[in-house]
Amino acid sequence: MIRVHQLSKIYTDWQQGDSIALNAISFHAKRGEIYGLLGTNGAGKTTALRILATVLAPSSGNATIDGCDVVKDSALVRQKIGFVSSNTAIYDRMTAWELVTYFGRLHGLDPELLRDRMEGLFTQLEMHDFRDVLGAKMSSGMKQKTSIARALIHDPPVLIFDEATVGLDVLAGRSLLDTVCKLRDQGKCIVFSTHIMREAERLCDKVAILHRGRFLAEGNWRDLAQEHGYADLEELFFELIREDRSVDSSSSLRESVACETTVSMAASRLT
Amino acid sequence: MRWSNIRLVFWRECRDQLRDRRTLFTIAVLPLLLYPLLAISVFQVAQFRHDHPSRVWVIGAKRLPSQPTLLHGDRFSDGLVDNATRDLIALGSAPPDWTALSQEALSERVEQEIQQGHVDAVVLFPNDFSLRLEQFNQQMAERPTSQDTPLLSFSEVPEPTLFLNTTNDKSRLAAQRTKKVLQSWREQIVRAGLRSRQIPITATRPFRVAHVDLAEAGRQQLAFWSRLLPFVVMIWALTGAFYPAIDLCAGEKERGTLETLLTSPADRREIVCGKLLTVTTFSSATAVLNLSSLVLTGSLFFGQMELVEGAQPLQLGAPSIAAVVWLLIVLLPISALFSALSLGIAAFARSNKEGQYYLMPLLLVCLPLMIFPVLPACELDAGTSLIPLSGILLLLRTLIEGDYLLAARYCLPVLGVTGLGCWLAIHWAVHQFNQESVLFRESERVGLRIGLRHWWRHRQETPGVTGALCCGLLLLFMRFIAGSQASMPATWRDFVTSQMLVQVGLLAVPAVLLACLLGRRVRDGLLLRWPGYRPVIAGGFLAVCFHPLGMELTQLIHNLYPLSDAIGKQLRELESIMGPASLGTLILTMAVLPAICEELTFRGLLFSGLRRSGRPGFTILTSSLFFGAIHGVFQQSLSAFVVGILIGGLAWRTSSILPGILFHFTYNGLSVLLGMVLPLYLPKQPILQLAFDGADGALRYHPLIVASGGLVCLAIGLWFRGWRVDTQPKEQTLDHHPDTPATESLGTTPAA
Repeated sequence: MIRVHQLSKIYTDWQQGDSIALNAISFHAKRGEIYGLLGTNGAGKTTALRILATVLAPSSGNATIDGCDVVKDSALVRQKIGFVSSNTAIYDRMTAWELVTYFGRLHGLDPELLRDRMEGLFTQLEMHDFRDVLGAKMSSGMKQKTSIARALIHDPPVLIFDEATVGLDVLAGRSLLDTVCKLRDQGKCIVFSTHIMREAERLCDKVAILHRGRFLAEGNWRDLAQEHGYADLEELFFELIREDRSVDSSSSLRESVACETTVSMAASRLT
Repeated sequence: MRWSNIRLVFWRECRDQLRDRRTLFTIAVLPLLLYPLLAISVFQVAQFRHDHPSRVWVIGAKRLPSQPTLLHGDRFSDGLVDNATRDLIALGSAPPDWTALSQEALSERVEQEIQQGHVDAVVLFPNDFSLRLEQFNQQMAERPTSQDTPLLSFSEVPEPTLFLNTTNDKSRLAAQRTKKVLQSWREQIVRAGLRSRQIPITATRPFRVAHVDLAEAGRQQLAFWSRLLPFVVMIWALTGAFYPAIDLCAGEKERGTLETLLTSPADRREIVCGKLLTVTTFSSATAVLNLSSLVLTGSLFFGQMELVEGAQPLQLGAPSIAAVVWLLIVLLPISALFSALSLGIAAFARSNKEGQYYLMPLLLVCLPLMIFPVLPACELDAGTSLIPLSGILLLLRTLIEGDYLLAARYCLPVLGVTGLGCWLAIHWAVHQFNQESVLFRESERVGLRIGLRHWWRHRQETPGVTGALCCGLLLLFMRFIAGSQASMPATWRDFVTSQMLVQVGLLAVPAVLLACLLGRRVRDGLLLRWPGYRPVIAGGFLAVCFHPLGMELTQLIHNLYPLSDAIGKQLRELESIMGPASLGTLILTMAVLPAICEELTFRGLLFSGLRRSGRPGFTILTSSLFFGAIHGVFQQSLSAFVVGILIGGLAWRTSSILPGILFHFTYNGLSVLLGMVLPLYLPKQPILQLAFDGADGALRYHPLIVASGGLVCLAIGLWFRGWRVDTQPKEQTLDHHPDTPATESLGTTPAA
């Protein structure tokens, strides 16, 4: 369903020059599967998901969704995905009903079909109570439900959740995770990014631990934990991140030592 | 593009804006309230101005002559001014001790009293005023009529002093009223003197100037509305585009909804078009509502006001229906232009607040262009019709005034310029929405020290786009400062020195230094490459072929925008000081020096930086803009801009400034020859007379030569198109990475 091959993304920063947000990542997610992208803030999760959602263009590599390339067939890809972001992205001056209708019509749904789908979704997500409430007056839970309804209105085969539980209370968070599980059971392919390991353990069939744009590990989380000798995903995550940081610091230490040696050798030749 | 998606985005955005109180206030409430409130305020002020009695103190009233009388009790005498004015002056007496005060002390006291609001103005009659006035009248009466008596022998009458504070409105008004009374009194004194000598009073005023206003009442009204309405419509069209544009771009970014919208099936062009339609609708609505409110208020209130004091009151009714129709027709392209510009600029901003900062410069740029047509003596002609915004304002004015013949003559250039502006602005707005770097701009922390250190360590081989733009602005600024300080050269030697200073000191040396500073490879940074003999020679040949066309272009520019008298005089003076120069030094100063120095700067440093954007149009046009702007005279800048485009094209194709240098040298050299040498030989050489036409004073090529030159230019241009742009790393931006295949890279190699 989702195939990502050697995907890279490089940003140029005025202060720090080029920064590699994604460094040749590859993965494959199937129908009826939840693929977890785990990582700290700034690891590259959002960049990867934005590329899959055709919002950003990759610097190199490629990604396909249901056989459609995210760069060449971006319009087709957008028909096949539903995107839920952490900030819910709800229009303040639109009601839940209006917002979902708007996106349904953008997806070209027939009015009758749209109405049926909306009734179904609003019932399924228990949204009827606030269907006429403006976005500005919704609670975080209401916003997130509206956001999910918006993403599901065209019944896409692929769903992308970018840190969707951020800012939700326990009940709303649990409700969202339940919804994601149900969607998986309906055969959707889901990419779910988070930095909360318990969510990943509960939901994901496969995970990838992303750090500084690179995959440190990828596969079934239980297999990975067993392979590295840890009981849970959180311990595995901490250990992999710690190892990666120590490798980085030792390599930079090596570089600085090499530099100093060169300088001292040059100085000795001078004297 | 799918119209259904555009319509959906448009309706959503419209509904969103209509639910926004700020937008509603700006487009609907403000115009409906603004003009009636303004009118009421004006009336209040006018009434206050007319009804408020002024308090005036007179010092030395007792010493005034008895005939003609100035004062009658606590009022001015009857017959000096009309009763209404007289009743608006309440006379009072100053404290008795003021008569003994010196002028300075009195000024201080009066100032204090005016500030405290006790009095508005004070009139001081000097102690001997009455006596000296009496002496004057006596001398006048006894003055023999047979011979001229020198005026100096007359007794001088000391001046009465009127104390006022011009920063205080009440004081100014009181002084104005008092002055009117005193002038009338003085006239009465003069008349009394004349009567005593039996001279008719008309001797002081042998004739009067009569005014006959030939303007019809309707024309007066048209002239008033034709200046006011287009300006108001344009200002409000711009203001009306601001807030929706900011909310639709920066607001969406701030709320995070833009990302979601981009993941929907709506194409980016469809999104931009939907948003653009919305902004245009609100911009037009704001202008229409303001127009309606102004017209309604104007016809109800302003029409009743006496606009010209002392003349017949100008009765202003509502503008004609035709005027309103023309305004509505022209409003659409104006709104579209402003909306596209606002949308493109607002796309940069990350928040509503930032959006307001970015859009303010747009207002500052547009305002002079909108004020220019309102200035007296500014009319629609070939030159003004080509100025963006000003042209369409003048066209509107002409249409409202009913001069359809003139409007029809310049309609096409005005609409062409406006249409081109619209198209470019819309294209730019769409381009902005396709830029990741614009849509997902992260917060920038600007640390000068760290930034400079990073920039120095990571500077690339040649300057980047930003570096080139900064260099261009810096050079322009230096040129402006030097130009404002320099004086007109008096001799040929002075001229050569100033040319050397400008070309070498302000262009070439800074260009080389900046190329060293901003890039690691100076030669590449200045495009100092050898492209082969053929393109260099072709560059020189192109200049020869283009020269006739260039001369025609210069003539056209001078016809459209004639030189001002001052500039014309300066140019003639320059020509006169060039007289004693030899041909060699002329060529060296006017052709060789600019060809090297200007090309190093504009097609070298600036071009090499700008070309890293990967966009030939942007690179060539921007470098030409700077090249044009560096030339001090506007008309010269325009032709330099066009020539700059041509040389820019050569630089783009060949990745070298050498063909450009030869082009520049040849072109300038031919101009020098044509201007200085040819007039000497033309009368003697019949062959030259076949090629040039000098009948109307200006030396011009024969039309056949111009046409042939144009055709050969075209052929050379096509030959240059065969040159393939070759590999040179493009500037690394969000949209590009060196790992990607170098499909959009620069440089040249001859086609295989």
